[in-house]
Amino acid sequence: MPDPILSRRTILKLSAGALVGSVAMPAIVRAAPKEIVIGGPAGAAKYFNADVFPLIQKMLDVSILYEGTNSLTNLQKMQADKASPKMSVVIMDDPVMLPAAAEGLITPMSVSGVPNLGKLVPDTIHRDGLWANYQKPWAGIAYSTKRMPTPPADWTALWDPKYAQKVIVPSLQNTEGFWTLLAAAHLETGKPYKEAQYDIDAAFRKLKSLKPNLLNVYTNAPQAINLLEQGEAWMIGGQFSAYTLIRKADGSPVDLSVPKDGGFAMPSGIAKVKGAPAGDVADAVINAFLSPEVQSVLATKAFVAPTNATVAAPAGFPGAASLFAPDWAFVAKERAGWVDRWIKEMS
Amino acid sequence: MTDAALPLAKAPARPSRERLVAVALAAPAVLILIFLFALPLAKLLAASLTGAEGLTFVEYGKLLGTSFYLGVIWNSVRLALYTTGIALLIGYPAAFALARARGPVRSFLLACLFLPLAASVIVKAFAWTILLRSDGLVNTLLMAVGITAEPIRMIFTETALIVGSVNIFLPFMILPVYTVVAQLDPRLSDAAATLGASPVEAFVRVVVPLTIPGVVAGVALVFSLAVSAYVVPTLLIGERYPTLSTTIAKAYLLARQPAFGAAAGVVLLVIAVATVAVSARLAKLGGAK
Repeated sequence: MPDPILSRRTILKLSAGALVGSVAMPAIVRAAPKEIVIGGPAGAAKYFNADVFPLIQKMLDVSILYEGTNSLTNLQKMQADKASPKMSVVIMDDPVMLPAAAEGLITPMSVSGVPNLGKLVPDTIHRDGLWANYQKPWAGIAYSTKRMPTPPADWTALWDPKYAQKVIVPSLQNTEGFWTLLAAAHLETGKPYKEAQYDIDAAFRKLKSLKPNLLNVYTNAPQAINLLEQGEAWMIGGQFSAYTLIRKADGSPVDLSVPKDGGFAMPSGIAKVKGAPAGDVADAVINAFLSPEVQSVLATKAFVAPTNATVAAPAGFPGAASLFAPDWAFVAKERAGWVDRWIKEMS
Repeated sequence: MTDAALPLAKAPARPSRERLVAVALAAPAVLILIFLFALPLAKLLAASLTGAEGLTFVEYGKLLGTSFYLGVIWNSVRLALYTTGIALLIGYPAAFALARARGPVRSFLLACLFLPLAASVIVKAFAWTILLRSDGLVNTLLMAVGITAEPIRMIFTETALIVGSVNIFLPFMILPVYTVVAQLDPRLSDAAATLGASPVEAFVRVVVPLTIPGVVAGVALVFSLAVSAYVVPTLLIGERYPTLSTTIAKAYLLARQPAFGAAAGVVLLVIAVATVAVSARLAKLGGAK
């Protein structure tokens, strides 16, 4: 039918399909409330809303309300709403899952409620099922291909005087802000990431010398990426594949480089909020996030490594050996102090 | 004429029913103010003074005793002072233009004043980052007229912050001044002229004093809005220009220091209330002339 407008017959067919679909769903999901609130990163809102949620909504016949902000803000909301949580599922980076778990804000999942937990690759289920990694984005240096035909080779590029006022770095308020701190520690000490990650004094010393090159320190990732697309910024230190490569796929003149000193792996977690409404729907939504259908969409649309063992990693994904995963427990313990120091020393 | 001669003085006392009606009419607003403003403010104050071992002023000591946080307070006040000063310079003549204009010109000017209020602060702040970037409209114009050969860095600078802030808060200066100017009797200037005053003298000695209440109201409004702005500094200059508002957000959301956030909130409130109180006093003095 060439006419793209839905005819009455098509609407009837779709309605019938939806009815059959909902009858075919497990009774537990059908009986539960239709609406579910998911908290997660603002940077993921675009591909979640465009590609992931429509699929899950179709699979489960639920309506998803997404609260996209940074992980620490969602953690704050969970603490404030602990007695009567509004979010049922929360998507946060591993370093923020740690305090959420320590404060009893999330509740364990099991294979009986979330069968796809049994299909995940090793080391992706944490603290006996308190949270699971649903994707593994990687981080490197995002750059404007319009301004830099040759990709930045390593982290020293951020400090190169020829890029004065052309560099944006994420604030330490954002999880990805840690990558610049880690790269600075590595450059200042000359040690590999694994050893350098504990020398934060060295990291701050090096970071201060980045100031002449800074166009801005961002807390709002979309604003920073817009500036990179426009060529106002030339590089963003420590950007996620899920943020940058989506824009590249849309035709923007941006790309992500893996520095020769190595990029970073950033497992993202999904968890069920303790005492939240619609617990069974929350299980079903988490199971859907871990399903091959959604994982394939994440891999192809968001350029992240899937965690379901049955789904292949996207083409061009850097090898695991070139990606460093830091000591998140150390990061989680020290982060509040670093944020305070960052604000004082970088402003 | 003495007070005793006033007929009102001999009016019979109103029955208490009228007082009851007045209380009933005021009650909803008073209750809302008590529950939504007074109690939360009392809670904020209590939170700022509560430490692990009871009453403490340690958060205020941190805020008012360290050069970094004094700098943060000064950033907020400086932004408000610049914004208020520039908004007054632009807004005062604009209010006269608006009051004197007639017909379609007046409608056009009013639309220019009110339409931007319908756009979100976030949209306006983003728009400024587009206008001020190196290949944006402002740099293109500056280079076209030969003022500069190379694009000037404007985004994420204090200049950009102040330009954006003035743009966003300007209507709040124009409106109160306009309200006063529109009520001025134009014959007052004529009267001054017949008594030998030059146009400048008539303006300075007759018109300006009469507009003081509007100016004071505009200054109080713009200063209070600018000193507590959060979205504008966050989007136009970012983390490298910390203000009291951004410090409060970080204290609650990131550093998990609610007592410190509350203390910063109280300091911000004191600055805003002091501005309004001083303005009210000035308005009273201006009105008494």
